[in-house]
Amino acid sequence: MRVLATYNIKGGVGKTSTAVNLAYLAAREGRRTLLWDLDPQAAATYMFRVRPRVKGGSHALVTRRRPIEAALKATDFDNLDLLPADFSYRNMDLELDDTKKRTLRLGQLLDSVAAEYDVVFLDCPPSISLVSENVMHASDTLLVPLIPATLSLRTLDQLTRFVADSQGSRPEVVAFFSMADRRKRLHREVIDAIARDHTRVADTVIPALSIIEQMAVRRAPVPAFAPTSRAAQCYEQLWAEVCPR
Amino acid sequence: MISPTRALQAADDGRLELESIVTVLSAQFAVVTGPKHLVRRRRLDTFDRRLDAAGLTLEHQVVASGERLVLGRPDTSSTVAVSVENLRWPAAADALPSGPVWDAVAPVIGIRALMVASDERRRMRRLDLRNEDGKTVARVELDEPASAAASPGRLTVRRLRGYDEQARRADRLLAGLGLRAVENGECGEPSSSQTSVNDRAVPARVLLTSALSDFLVTMRTNLPGLLDDVDTEFLHDFRVSVRRTRATLKLGRSALPEVMSSRWELAFKSLGDLTTPVRDLDVYQLDLPSMSNWLVTADPTDLDPLASHLRRKRAVARCALMRSLRSATFRRMLTEWDERLATLMDTPEDADRKHLSAGRLADRSISRAYRRVARGGAMIGADSPAEDLHGLRKRCKELRYALEVFAPLIDQRARKRAVADLKGLQDVLGRFQDTEVQRGAMRGFAEEMMAEGTTAGAVLAMGELIGHLDVEQDRARRQFDAAFARFERPSSLRLMHRLDGAR
Repeated sequence: MRVLATYNIKGGVGKTSTAVNLAYLAAREGRRTLLWDLDPQAAATYMFRVRPRVKGGSHALVTRRRPIEAALKATDFDNLDLLPADFSYRNMDLELDDTKKRTLRLGQLLDSVAAEYDVVFLDCPPSISLVSENVMHASDTLLVPLIPATLSLRTLDQLTRFVADSQGSRPEVVAFFSMADRRKRLHREVIDAIARDHTRVADTVIPALSIIEQMAVRRAPVPAFAPTSRAAQCYEQLWAEVCPR
Repeated sequence: MISPTRALQAADDGRLELESIVTVLSAQFAVVTGPKHLVRRRRLDTFDRRLDAAGLTLEHQVVASGERLVLGRPDTSSTVAVSVENLRWPAAADALPSGPVWDAVAPVIGIRALMVASDERRRMRRLDLRNEDGKTVARVELDEPASAAASPGRLTVRRLRGYDEQARRADRLLAGLGLRAVENGECGEPSSSQTSVNDRAVPARVLLTSALSDFLVTMRTNLPGLLDDVDTEFLHDFRVSVRRTRATLKLGRSALPEVMSSRWELAFKSLGDLTTPVRDLDVYQLDLPSMSNWLVTADPTDLDPLASHLRRKRAVARCALMRSLRSATFRRMLTEWDERLATLMDTPEDADRKHLSAGRLADRSISRAYRRVARGGAMIGADSPAEDLHGLRKRCKELRYALEVFAPLIDQRARKRAVADLKGLQDVLGRFQDTEVQRGAMRGFAEEMMAEGTTAGAVLAMGELIGHLDVEQDRARRQFDAAFARFERPSSLRLMHRLDGAR
């Protein structure tokens, strides 16, 4: 089982769109795929038309009073399951803080479904928190969407240092540009200028396209409702770059 | 993930009416009816049903829009579907696309090829049952035959994870249509035809005829795959049946008519010999990847000329084997053997032979075979030539066959322990003899290849293989004393006495 997390300290950069589309593509290839929507805003859960509710909330999951298998929901797509978001996830930091090995608990929870899935995506809330530390330890790959702007690069630096300084196993950080607009000079300059010596930066750039925004209207991944669209092709390219072999 | 709850079909195996199905389900769900499409469904498995034994199902489905492999697993009760192109059967695991299907199937089937176990054209239609959020909460698959000869139409409610209650509701609604559940086994899976005689008092000839008939069935069932060269196990299984036939004829000499040894022992020896060259070359080809790991200085690619040489030799040997197996002489031999077995009980013969009991023959054969192994092993010394160890290996095989042929008549726990001790000795002797033969064969291949102008790298690499075989043979020889001591230890002796004393 390989775990990929879409993560950024900033919000609104395309984490959920990426997690939803890449999870769909992984499942379409026949990989048994799970997407865990860790964000209490529940955008990924909404896109799969699943109700954002986990019986017992994050407390039951983190304390293992309720096995995560019991909370899993099939999506409308073959091979793709969802562990839905719940509004109580806003308190997940506190729940984790009360457990032993508090930075490893999410990874331990995922171990219980390791035999069932080939790929797990974690759609993370935007923050640096105990949840983030858990995500670092549980993930093999951290996918970091970046809007091509100077502040985004600064955020990437902070994130890279945070990963480097963390104890124990560290995920590979793979950054990629998201919501890019080639018509903007600043976007072009940032994409061309990013230093690739310390952090892996994917060649694929996900453009700012209205069809990606339509995901929330159609409540489905882009390759499912617009399989030949440019956006679908971009996500396919990105998946080809980052998919576990 | 998705898994079936249960399949239903019309009570009279008749047509399933889509309209009434939709009407009844609409009471609680928004039903979205998908288009009807023709699907060619080929169920795949190895000849010996390894996928089925592992609880896996694999289907190659072809629809107008493309092809896919659909894998069903036992652990999660889920299915995995992968798009594929241009797959042809039979095929080895290498033909499968890398990913979850290969990961699940390849370790289970090993060197066996996937074959088409059943092939049907069906008309499929999928009904999505949705809740008020537009989320699909259960699926119903309507699967109808495309031809009258195929199995009747069926309806399968597929449970979606986390929505069990909705699937149960759909099931309850469909029950109102008067459908019946499809019984297990209605797919017509093949069943084993092995027979067993376990009464010690029956004439030995009954038990021997039963065993010989089973071996003939195995030979015949493996013959098509052997002729088509589907995978190397068809020849292997065919040879095992031939060897068991020969061993059974030998063990049953005192109970069978004399013609069985004068004619049929020789006939099956010739048949076995006929298949040996191809099998030997199969083994070298199968072992080549692991042999390349033995190389220290040479590169694995240095063995490429050897691989080509083996392929060419096998093609030539196989042509000769096919000529013989496709001949009228061979067909006649099998027919006559079949007829001989059918009339074996009616052969006029002296009463002693005909009425010797199975239990008596079992006791006599096992104790004689055991004594021969014990005597032969005790005579092996530090200077014994390789032929002596080879002779002992043959005696061990005879004892093993005796334990197998008479298995229904002897205490199973004692037999299992005796076989385990014997296996240890057979393993050591097998490694010793195999390395002896392989060394000679490797030298022979090298000479043939040099005459054809092969590369120096290939010959040097083969020299390394011979060196490794030398070391392995030495190791097996050193392990012999310990293996024989284990076979002869008092507990094993007691076991043997229990076996041949189980009168």
